[in-house]
Amino acid sequence: MTHIEPTNPGGLEFKAHLELSSNVGFLSVVRSTVEALTIELGWSPEVAMSIKLAIDEALTNKIRHAYDSRPDGQIQIDIMTVRKGLVFQLSDQGKAPDMRRLCARKKLSTEPGGLGTHIIRDVMDEVVYESVGVNNLLIMTKYFPASFPYPETAGEGNP
Amino acid sequence: MNFITRTVGNTEVVEITGDVDLKVSPLLRKSLFAALKKSEKVAVNLSNIAYIDSSGIAVFIESLRESQKLGNMFVLFGMSPKVYEVFKLTHVLRIFQIFENEAQALGLEAQ
Repeated sequence: MTHIEPTNPGGLEFKAHLELSSNVGFLSVVRSTVEALTIELGWSPEVAMSIKLAIDEALTNKIRHAYDSRPDGQIQIDIMTVRKGLVFQLSDQGKAPDMRRLCARKKLSTEPGGLGTHIIRDVMDEVVYESVGVNNLLIMTKYFPASFPYPETAGEGNP
Repeated sequence: MNFITRTVGNTEVVEITGDVDLKVSPLLRKSLFAALKKSEKVAVNLSNIAYIDSSGIAVFIESLRESQKLGNMFVLFGMSPKVYEVFKLTHVLRIFQIFENEAQALGLEAQ
């Protein structure tokens, strides 16, 4: 499992680990958590909404594709602040994603599938897919904007 | 989420309220496809949608394609800024006929 060391961005350290079934009923619970957190960390309601959407899309993809919409799979979500932003790591033990199909949809296509991965890439600053043993990881980072009250960390590199 | 369908002339007007996500999008698809079979035009009111994800957008795309197959019309109206943002992020705004309000969607008022 990828290990990311949390850091404290100016007294707003946050670290949470969620374990949930691949049940669509939990989507709204995760959305509420992400929205509340991103607003608290200082993002505008518009950006908070887009981050919430990206995480919802990532979770939806795991439910649909890793577990074929079965509600009994297991999904782990780690959320943590790091020096440069907020990291979301979603992990499942279902089917690995087909890397050839990720973002294969053309942006102006009228096909109904593949919309979610484009949203994730458009909203997040870093998106990494990894398979480690049986774990399929999706690690997404949203950078803090330069206007955040962490001038000593602005523009620095890795966590 | 809940949705109500009412008939206005030759149009089925579908009112959607609440969150549209993977939990409810299969049911929404059924409802929109049924409306498309019933009338030659379906107009969907988006103004009371609190949240929509790409599974909901995909249902609208599928409904549009179904309407084209049937030779019917499928239009949207009452798009809030929140819903507009999701349509923008998914790059599908240009494929739909989108009206400001119900009267315009029904052709009762000029755009």
